[in-house]
Amino acid sequence: MKRIFVDYKKCLACKACETACAIEHHPGHSLLAALGDRKTQVNVRVLGIEHEAFPLSCRHCEPAECLNACPSGAITRDPETGAVLLNPALCKACAMCAMVCPFDAISFKHTHRAPFDRDVAYKCDLCNERIKEGGTPACVEACHSGALIYAEYDATRSSRAAKSLRTYLLGAEGMPPLLELFRELRRKEFARRSGGV
Amino acid sequence: MDVTQKGHDKRSADPAAVEMLRIADREGYSTIWERHEKQQPQCGYGQLGTCCRICSMGPCRIDPFGEGPTRGVCGATADTIVARNLARMAAVGSSSHSDHGRKAALLLKEVADGTNTDYHITDPEKLLAVAAKLGIPTSGRSLPEIAGDVADTAINCFGHQGETPIVFAEKYMPKKRFQRLKELEETLYKATGAKTGFLPRGIDREAVDILHRTHFGCDHDPLSLVAQSVRCSLSDGWGGSLIATEMQDILLGTPTIKTVKANLGVLEAESVNVVVHGHEPILSAKVVEMAQSEACLKAAQAVGAKRVNVVGLCCTGNEVLLRQGVGMAGNESHSELAIMTGAVDAMVVDVQCIFPALADLASCFHTKFITTSEQAKIPGSMHIQFEEHHADAIATRIVTTAIEAFPNRNKGRVYIPQHTATAIVGFTVEEILKALGGTPQPLIDLIVNGTIKGVAGIVGCNNVKVQQDFFHKELTKELIKRDILVIGTGCWAIAAAKDGLMDLPAQELAGPGLKAVCKQLGIPPVLHMGSCVDCSRMLVLAGALADHLNVDVSDLPLVGSAPEWTTEKAVAIGTYFVGSGIPVHLWPVPPILGGPEVTKILTQDAKQVLGGWFFVEEDPVAAADQMEAIIQERRAALGI
Repeated sequence: MKRIFVDYKKCLACKACETACAIEHHPGHSLLAALGDRKTQVNVRVLGIEHEAFPLSCRHCEPAECLNACPSGAITRDPETGAVLLNPALCKACAMCAMVCPFDAISFKHTHRAPFDRDVAYKCDLCNERIKEGGTPACVEACHSGALIYAEYDATRSSRAAKSLRTYLLGAEGMPPLLELFRELRRKEFARRSGGV
Repeated sequence: MDVTQKGHDKRSADPAAVEMLRIADREGYSTIWERHEKQQPQCGYGQLGTCCRICSMGPCRIDPFGEGPTRGVCGATADTIVARNLARMAAVGSSSHSDHGRKAALLLKEVADGTNTDYHITDPEKLLAVAAKLGIPTSGRSLPEIAGDVADTAINCFGHQGETPIVFAEKYMPKKRFQRLKELEETLYKATGAKTGFLPRGIDREAVDILHRTHFGCDHDPLSLVAQSVRCSLSDGWGGSLIATEMQDILLGTPTIKTVKANLGVLEAESVNVVVHGHEPILSAKVVEMAQSEACLKAAQAVGAKRVNVVGLCCTGNEVLLRQGVGMAGNESHSELAIMTGAVDAMVVDVQCIFPALADLASCFHTKFITTSEQAKIPGSMHIQFEEHHADAIATRIVTTAIEAFPNRNKGRVYIPQHTATAIVGFTVEEILKALGGTPQPLIDLIVNGTIKGVAGIVGCNNVKVQQDFFHKELTKELIKRDILVIGTGCWAIAAAKDGLMDLPAQELAGPGLKAVCKQLGIPPVLHMGSCVDCSRMLVLAGALADHLNVDVSDLPLVGSAPEWTTEKAVAIGTYFVGSGIPVHLWPVPPILGGPEVTKILTQDAKQVLGGWFFVEEDPVAAADQMEAIIQERRAALGI
């Protein structure tokens, strides 16, 4: 089954994934409509952890703790895609799902999908409709640098492993040298600020 | 938010700032540091320089990992995009300095023809020196006549339309450097068949040239774009900034050596405090003058204040510090902290480096935040329009506004951190030469015999990505320890002043050679040369040394650094240093690493072509190592 993988070293924190997600999940399906709309939901957030950036969203765990914890049966799994889905009509915003989520990937808000004029839980739906039609999640499509990949785990694993081994065994070039420098300088910048001297 | 631990605060290395940040944390005031945290993580495309927003087919971003798009919609490569973005930064920086210089030149013209009577030719000696340098006849002519010609010559440099270099660059640039750039233009034309220029033809033109050539579908050659960035920056260093310095010296007086106090402790609990902030001294010098008037003193006393205390921040602060000896409240990162003391009755700003956040912050206090420039309006501020021909009246109105605010000051909220350092400032080229007996020869002798290994010019800002003043102080100390004389301007100079490095006891931190020289001359080992437009003073000093020895600047053991740079102006300064033959250290990294060719041009090829180049280093000691190595390499080449 395909999943979203994060190659975090490639994340440049441009947040194009956040924008694409907002547009995809907005009834207006446009940036103009989503802007300034309080009900706009963004299911992926690029978090800065010191010098690293990581686009965090629901990992669609199997088994999913949120699914097991939800007392109202709002969370289900689509057997075809593996997506863990949240039905806002059944959600009571009790936050059990959020509390057990190991990635803190569930938020609460009065979104466009909330049917009863109140906050509901919301999270990544893996763009379930898009992927069922053979597409990729909107965030993955928006990612320019290859930090977000939607693929079968095995294929991803072996291609990444082969690439790393080429560097390791053959001394082939890994990351472009100036990118290595950029990452190293950023690491130093953050280290000095957090460490003091 | 950050928590101070054992007196250490990762946000600032300044003790007054550390105290104020505790208050900011307690009261929840927004600061640059807090807003910077909220901006994390910041976009890597922007940091690498590979985001292009020039046309509406974009924005385009190049995947630096080489797996996604490697070209923009139009076909622009990463290097083209990086070079265009850099060129635009240089154009903006150069324009900011130069537009400042334009206003000073226009004012001198008005003073010369008698249409402005609020300002005067304060320094006739400087006027005559500038006229002589420009080849303007002086004998038997009145000062206004000469001033009119000097102003016309300066004004003409902005709008000059020919292909020949501007007069200021031609007359001020050391001969060998001018020749080298001219020959470089010829060599490149012959070798490539394509025209490339380095000598500035017109100050406004070189910036407009960049705006033109970076328009959709024009110049895509990284080398050509970098060359024009150098040319535009040289039009700043040997044009706009230089004109600003020279005109201001004539109008307001050439700074002389004086002793001042620096840091937030210059604010006075019992006085009306006016902070002047920004860059142009034409207004702030008047504010200082009017604040000292009998009428303002009486008005201040009438509301229960001791006096009107004008203090400076940022480069406006440097200008009035050097000329009028006012206290220096701090550098760029101190601007919010000053307001948080609750003791500032008015903060008066002109242009450049003014956080718009100051308006909101001032509204939490009785502080009047007063904008004055047509070019720098800030929502939430009080605007008192500055006009040169009503300068006295407007400056008086500003001071009066501050006096009227004083009774509203909540004394229970006032906290002025009691930190100040003594600083000996005002080391203009004129003052340095005077101290040396009228000729650069004694300095040259000291360098030749190795008592002083070389000279480092440090410039630049505060940058929230670096602990405030940390790099400035550590690098400076590290250099003087190695017998390298440190000169500089801008927010670096304020950092050094606040840290006591411009006071006589700092001689003890210098190496044995430099220490002995400083003791003999009675000067600190770290010299304050002015505001950031006064980086031109460093160029003029370098030029004087080069011409005296009949060598190029790139032969001299000189090196530059901008260790906490922030602004586009700093890009222009760094680039005109490099274009003048001086290697420049930078931190943080400029947005160029996404373009391997541009990076190579700036960090390697420039060394051969221009004799100056850029290098990046995050650690102050390692940066000093590299700077010393460059000085030693140049000394070896000179056989000294």
